[in-house]
Amino acid sequence: MEMVLDLDGDRPRDDEIMAQHYAIRAEEAGKISFLGNKEPLSTLAAEYELGNSIFKTKIEKLGEIYGAIRRTRGDGNCFFRAFMFSYLENLLETKNNLEAARVKDSVEKCKQTLLDLGHAEFTFEDFLASFTEQLDAVQDVTLSVDKLVDNCRDQAISDSVVMFFRFITSGEIRKRADFFEPFIFGTSGMAVQQFCRTSVEPMGEESDHVHITALSDALGVPIRIVYLDSSVGDGGKTVEVNFHDFIPSELSQEKVKPPVMLLYRPGHYDILYEK
Amino acid sequence: MLDVSRVQKELMEVERDKLSGVSIQILGSSLSHMQGTIEGPSGTPYEGGVFTIDIQLPSAYPFEPPKMQFITRVWHPNISSQNGAICLDILKDQWSPALTLKTALLSLQALLSTPEPGDPQDAVVAEQYLKHYSTYVSTARYWTETFAKRSSIGLQEKVMKFVEMGFSEDAALGALQSTGGDENAALEKLCSG
Repeated sequence: MEMVLDLDGDRPRDDEIMAQHYAIRAEEAGKISFLGNKEPLSTLAAEYELGNSIFKTKIEKLGEIYGAIRRTRGDGNCFFRAFMFSYLENLLETKNNLEAARVKDSVEKCKQTLLDLGHAEFTFEDFLASFTEQLDAVQDVTLSVDKLVDNCRDQAISDSVVMFFRFITSGEIRKRADFFEPFIFGTSGMAVQQFCRTSVEPMGEESDHVHITALSDALGVPIRIVYLDSSVGDGGKTVEVNFHDFIPSELSQEKVKPPVMLLYRPGHYDILYEK
Repeated sequence: MLDVSRVQKELMEVERDKLSGVSIQILGSSLSHMQGTIEGPSGTPYEGGVFTIDIQLPSAYPFEPPKMQFITRVWHPNISSQNGAICLDILKDQWSPALTLKTALLSLQALLSTPEPGDPQDAVVAEQYLKHYSTYVSTARYWTETFAKRSSIGLQEKVMKFVEMGFSEDAALGALQSTGGDENAALEKLCSG
C-alpha cells in the first residue's frame, strides 16, 4: 500500500526526532572527549576571570585544598563517567586490592538486586562485565594512568560502564523505595518507578543527589561533591565553598575520606584532585 | 556494530515466553530487520486484532532505540493512521538499554489501552477522541475488524483447510507463514517436505 506523508500535519516520525537528538549529542561530543586531561586549577580560575566575584573568591578558596581538575563531557552522563574514572584511578594509584575485592562483592549484590527486581540477566550482564574488567585492569601493576584514560575514553567501555551504573542506581532506589520516595517526590514530583524509568535508566539523563546517594550506597563507595555556585552564607558576609560527603550507611560511623571527589557546577560534574 | 548476541538472547526470551502475547520474526538473514506482533488488549476497540509492527535495529542498539512502526493500519491518537508512525517516549529520548524489544512491544500494547490524546501523533484521531469519543471507538473498532483481523482469520481458515487434508496444524502454519500465506506455494511445500 502506498503511504503518503504529511497529509494531515503529522508530527515528525520517531527516527527523525532521534536523528536530531543524536546530532545535538554529536555536536557536544565534538567539543570535549568523555574525559579531558588533568589540568591545574588555575585553568578554572581563568574561565571566571571576567566573571562573578563570588566564583572568583570560591575558586581561590578551592585552590587551598585542591590542585587540579579533569573535565568530563557535558552529555548528561558526566557524573557517572567522572565517578568511573575517579574511582578506578584511585584504585590504580593506591593498589588497594582489598577495596577492589570488596567492590566486586558489592557488584554481586547489585546483580542479585537487579534479578530480584525482575531484570533479565542478559539486559545487564555485558555492562556488568565491562565494569569488572576495568576493576581487574587496575589491579594489574603494569597498567598506566594513560592507559586507564584511554580505556575510559573508549565509547564502548565508557557507555557500558555508565549503563551498568545506571542499572544499579535504579536498582538501589527501587530496592529502598520507601527511603528514596520523599526525596524523589520532593524534587521531581514523580513516583519512584517513574523516576527510575525516565530519569535514571535512559542514557543522558542528568544526575542529582538521589542518583549520587544511590550509587554510593549500592557500591559502598564514599563520594565528595564540592559545590561551585553563586550561593553565599551568613547574609552575604562569608563566602565558603560548600561540599557534601555521601557516605554509605555501613561506613557512616567511621571517619572516611572519599576516594572520589567531584566538582559540581549547576548541571555538570568534573573530577577534582587534592593537592 | 549491532550487538548480535544481545539481540539473539532477546529473541530467545520472546520465544520462551508464549504467554506474553508478543512475537517477533526475523526478516531475511540480518538481525537488524524484523517484524513483531501484538494482540489488541481486551476491553478496547483493538480487542481481537493482531497488529504487525516493523522493527529496525540501528547499529548502536541497545544504546539507541529500535525503530518501530505499525504495518497494520490502526486508528489511534498516538499512531499515524497514514503511515503507522508511533509517538511513544520510550522509542525516543526515554529509551534505555534496560528495555528490550519485548518490553517495547508490551509498551505498544499498553499504548493501545491508554491513548494519550494530549500528545498526539495523529491530530485527526486525537481530535475525534477528545470531541466525539463514541465515533472514535467505532472507527477504531472498524479499523481493527478491517485491517487487523482479515489476515489472521484468513490464515486460520487456510490452516484448517490443510488440517482437513491431513497435515498437522504446526506444519500447515509453518508452510503458510514461510510462503506469505500463498496457499498453492504452501501446499507444494507441504507435499515436497
